[in-house]
Amino acid sequence: MKIGPLNIPLKEDFSLKSILGFEKTPLNMLIAVATLAMLAMFVIGVANYLVHGHEAYGVTRQHPWGLLIAVYIFFVVSSTGFCIVGSLGDVFGFKDFTMISKRAIFGSIVTILAGFAVIAFEIGHPVRMMIYNVISPGLTSAIWWMGTLYGLYLTFMIIEFYFLLNNDMKKAKIFGLTGLLVGLAAHSNLGGVFGFLNARTISNGVYYPTYFILTAFITGIYLSFIVMGFRYKLNFSDEKVKKLLEGLAKIQGLLISILIFFMTWKLLTDVYGGMPTRADVAHHMLHTGAFWTEVICAMLIPLAVILKDFGKSPVLMFWASLIGMVGIFFMRYNLVHDTQVKPLQMMKITEYQLPPEWIEYFPSATEIMIALGGLGLCILLYYVGTRAFNLDEEEGH
Amino acid sequence: MKKIEVSRRKFLQGSVSLCVYASSAMAMPLATTKTSKKNAEDVPYLCNMCRNKCAGFARVEENIITKLNPNHYFPKSRNMLCPKGNAAIQAVYDKDRLKYPLIRMGKRGDGRYRRVTWDEAYEYIKDKLVKIIDEEKDNRSTVAYCNGEGFNKDEYIKFFGSKLGSANFLDEGSICLNTKLGATQLTIGDVGEMDVAGSDYMIISGANRYESLITPDSVDMLHAKQKLVVLDPRCTMTAIKADEYLPVNPGTDLAFCLSMIYIAIKDELYDKAYVKTYFKDFDKLKKHILSKKYTAKWAESKTHIPAERIKRITKEFFAASHPLYYLGRRSVWSQNDFQFRRAMVLINALAGSINRKGGIIFGKPFHLHEEEINEPLYSNTVDRFDLDGIVYGSQKGGSWLNFREKIVTNTSPYPVKAMFIRKHNLMQNMPNIEKTKKMLNMMDLVVVLDTMPSDTAVMADVILPECTFLEREDMVVSFNRLEPSLALRNQAIKPMYESKSMQDILKGLGKKLSVPLFKVSAKHDADLQESIKNYGKEKAFTEGGYNMTELYKYDITTRNKKLITAQFGKKVYDSLKKRGVWHPYIDTQKEIFNNYYEYYPKEKRHYTVERNYKVHCYLKKLEKHGFDPIPAWNDHYDFKVPKEAFRVITGRYVTTTQSATANNEMLKDFQEENYLWINNDVADSLGIKLGDSVAVMSSVSSIVIKAYPTNKIAPQVLWLSHGFGIHAREMTHAFGKGASDNMILEDKFEKIYGCATMHETNVTIRKL
Amino acid sequence: MARYGMALDYKNCINCKACEVACKEENGVELGAEKHRIWVGGNDPKGEWPLLDIASAAFLPSQCQQCEDAPCQEVCPTHATYYDENHVVRVDSEKCILCSYCMNACPYDARYVDDRTMTVDKCTFCSDTRLARGETTTACQNTCPTKVRTFGDLDDPNSEISELLRTREHFSLKAHLGTNPKLFYLT
Repeated sequence: MKIGPLNIPLKEDFSLKSILGFEKTPLNMLIAVATLAMLAMFVIGVANYLVHGHEAYGVTRQHPWGLLIAVYIFFVVSSTGFCIVGSLGDVFGFKDFTMISKRAIFGSIVTILAGFAVIAFEIGHPVRMMIYNVISPGLTSAIWWMGTLYGLYLTFMIIEFYFLLNNDMKKAKIFGLTGLLVGLAAHSNLGGVFGFLNARTISNGVYYPTYFILTAFITGIYLSFIVMGFRYKLNFSDEKVKKLLEGLAKIQGLLISILIFFMTWKLLTDVYGGMPTRADVAHHMLHTGAFWTEVICAMLIPLAVILKDFGKSPVLMFWASLIGMVGIFFMRYNLVHDTQVKPLQMMKITEYQLPPEWIEYFPSATEIMIALGGLGLCILLYYVGTRAFNLDEEEGH
Repeated sequence: MKKIEVSRRKFLQGSVSLCVYASSAMAMPLATTKTSKKNAEDVPYLCNMCRNKCAGFARVEENIITKLNPNHYFPKSRNMLCPKGNAAIQAVYDKDRLKYPLIRMGKRGDGRYRRVTWDEAYEYIKDKLVKIIDEEKDNRSTVAYCNGEGFNKDEYIKFFGSKLGSANFLDEGSICLNTKLGATQLTIGDVGEMDVAGSDYMIISGANRYESLITPDSVDMLHAKQKLVVLDPRCTMTAIKADEYLPVNPGTDLAFCLSMIYIAIKDELYDKAYVKTYFKDFDKLKKHILSKKYTAKWAESKTHIPAERIKRITKEFFAASHPLYYLGRRSVWSQNDFQFRRAMVLINALAGSINRKGGIIFGKPFHLHEEEINEPLYSNTVDRFDLDGIVYGSQKGGSWLNFREKIVTNTSPYPVKAMFIRKHNLMQNMPNIEKTKKMLNMMDLVVVLDTMPSDTAVMADVILPECTFLEREDMVVSFNRLEPSLALRNQAIKPMYESKSMQDILKGLGKKLSVPLFKVSAKHDADLQESIKNYGKEKAFTEGGYNMTELYKYDITTRNKKLITAQFGKKVYDSLKKRGVWHPYIDTQKEIFNNYYEYYPKEKRHYTVERNYKVHCYLKKLEKHGFDPIPAWNDHYDFKVPKEAFRVITGRYVTTTQSATANNEMLKDFQEENYLWINNDVADSLGIKLGDSVAVMSSVSSIVIKAYPTNKIAPQVLWLSHGFGIHAREMTHAFGKGASDNMILEDKFEKIYGCATMHETNVTIRKL
Repeated sequence: MARYGMALDYKNCINCKACEVACKEENGVELGAEKHRIWVGGNDPKGEWPLLDIASAAFLPSQCQQCEDAPCQEVCPTHATYYDENHVVRVDSEKCILCSYCMNACPYDARYVDDRTMTVDKCTFCSDTRLARGETTTACQNTCPTKVRTFGDLDDPNSEISELLRTREHFSLKAHLGTNPKLFYLT
């Protein structure tokens, strides 16, 4: 397809028919129905939000950031992760990984779009944001940098993807590298959003900006296993694919180990450092199911699978990666929640309340619907992408 | 419990909102309005959110009140407004307000009314009244009338008491502070005023000055350099802010006082010179107290305050240079209430703290001239009966519980067939609500003048919508004795909807009633017949004072102007119009710190005045009626609660004025419903947690209320705030929120002043 | 221009809510438990009945601390939060995108969402109401029954607040965070 000077090589048979022409297996049907259901929820959730405003959310004065912020972070981390994995081949030239580059870069575009779709309904005035981000930039704000850099990043990712589609590897490399750097900068700024909070000692400091990059890479690898699993229907007989996945699994083993090392020290210093409002929050965290879900799903299970035979079981890794992504979701949710869980003012402000201890938050139905809608949107866009573009490595390249 | 629920539902059945008939075409401002306009007008007014009266300025923009600010000229209120005062805007713009005259269509209490014109309402009242008074052969006392609002009370009495001629006036005194007023009056010959600011050692029994704000006391307490000792069965805000807090058994404060008197006399701590000059029958007091052996040890057994503390505090009190035992104004608690209030006065007297700085002062209040009116004499009118069996009682405000009891048991000497109720929420304000309901149901005519569709208003046959205090001018009032001042309530905005001021309502009613009621008298009253024969109808009517609108020949502004200028001159009148206040030092008063002013220079305050008076230790009349002539303890005063039961006591929140503020949207925002205070250990053992629903059962009835376990209350005591549990559906913000104390309180009253004793009900509780 | 601050003689606070109502009425603050610009925090006395330690019960009026180095201002992506000419931390509701970052960054829980404008709101020292009208007091200070609050210009050495801060010991909330509040609690 040609749009002006641009040449977008769509698949020959791309049409509504091709989109609907998937194999009608029970699993596929289930995924299709689930995706449609999630999209429907998105519409309902957004409608509810537009009618009732923030009242429709479970967020409060003391807990202003809720599920949607967590889901936004989940998606943008996914995007950065895809971007890192995609860059391994076409930016850094690791030959084994080039076969996933295009798919990963497309994945990074899809996930960040889903993230933006969700955050648009969390930010009170998204249009105003775009205007005042430009005419009244708050340069001391990590959110400004994060938002602006992610905007740029998306642009670079799209350009890179365009060149990848057109097999212009040189230009793809240039935009890929730029996009990666901008993406990493954006992403560490997202960590900075939390790191700058001096009133929230649990998050304050350098930990989150660096940790975000690490967990993004981990997320990217989990997602790679998932998209490759669907692409090859768990039949990884092709040597090239096997090699790719084994390599990714080994890297993942290393990354998860580093993450566990980081986390352990973070928690040790949190708990035994004895800093008020940090030690007690860390203690509190350790007693929540959500924290252990994060640890077990995002770290221990996948690591065990990898260590079993050093990443030589790609099918098992596919399933471990699905579990891993559940863990990653909890990782994001916990980050957002635990940052806010300690009340900033600890006195009773009405007679008939217990003294504030921990801030309670549970997402409202509207928030859950919009969050799931983001996932639905992500799946839909990705699926349409697989129908529209050839996301495999071009033969003979 | 179920039974209650059913009966309450029945009570509300078929209730059609008053608002249906009274929907508003007027634009309502938002609950709160933000403006920065500079051309607003500041109208001085006097607050009416509670009985206390503070002065303020209403900011009016385009005939809408946008903010109320304190008035720094008023010595009494010390340049402050409390939360209720600040929220008074919501009382004006309450969407549930009574907007039009209404006549009942359905059954009493079901809330079905039709909108009528003022004339129709008056006509309806006239027809009923003529019939009733005719039936009762011109015994005007068959029309009872009551008033719960401080302002305009005298004028209201002039209309129904002097002009219409009824002896049956009732006010809030007998469910409030009459024992205190009576005890002070009978002991030192005046009700006096307490100089809190001048006191260096103050004891407060039960009065909760930081949650039931009274100016200037509540303000002065924090700034006076004084030691504050608080006795209360509940750890109130006042207790928390005290220097020393003495948890005490409910109703045993008298024992503490008796012990103080005992120690003071035994150890000769009292002011001997003062006692010698002013005391009457001191020897009797001395003999009585010493022979009764009211030792600290004895008081400990009654009050549970450690004897050592009682001794120490007594010594400290009598050693202080300006000690004051604060005479709290609060509802009456128990059978010994009069004696307890009197004992407090005697303690002050023993310390010499009468008519001097820091004590009970007489001061020099401004005495405003009365507007003279011509009172008709009704020879067939029979006197009031509610003080039968009461030793003293208030001749003015009577005894509500005795009155009601005699009506519902048909033991009154004559039937009371009509009631005029002005801003007095009978259905909420006295113990045993069912009885009040029964009383009202026995009336042939119930007329309510109010601003809100209260539980009482929906029992009325005719509802006459009065405007709020911000929509009217009232007659000038004199305040205080130490730093006396005059204050005038000016009109901030015109009355909204079809509401009218009380004066205008009475004027309209008087026009309608004067002649027809005169005719009834002419039919039955032999004296009047005689006078008609002698002077002719016309003259007998006018000179006999039968024209009920006599007071309303001029409008209120003219009346004020005439009265004030005649007595004080034009300058004072101008000050009252412009600043809302006048006192002799208004032009020179100075700010001492942060919005806090000195009004009268210290040397000009009336701490001590020339006065011949005696401190009466012995009241013979009491002895004649079989009561203690000198305060004494009787065994039945002991605090006794059966096992598994609790004593329920009441009070109020700083954001509520009884049930009058129940529907205030702003105040509701701060305190939506009341909770039942229960000791935390007791709650633990019963498995009751914060917010759990609890049924509270007494011999009268039961309520359901949320629990608040706290360490601030004694194990055998429960506390809940008055003013919640509104039954009228028309009060949309208040309906169904919390529970009413008077549903469960037993209707007992003491026999010296006929006051309802609010703290004598034992209850059991059950977690739901 | 002035540098406004407030001194609070907080031990005199009786938690009567007068300031809170006055604030809501003056500034058109929404009703609702969460929607408050100012509030009073309280503790119950320690101990068990009847041995209560009444001195342990404290009441602390609180609100936006009007920091000189306000974290909320630093983190705002669109400069919606700004210092006005009197050093008062304000929110320009035209610029606020409601990202809620400032609510998270404020160490004092002083910010909330105004549902009518869908923007963040907070104490303005009555800048757009009373001060704009030419008055010299804030609503909360003006009405306080026990005269807890003193409001004034910190740059004016003759102001009552400057005098108070010179003569009485005081502290700031969470001073260790380096926010330099302009609210001073007198001891």
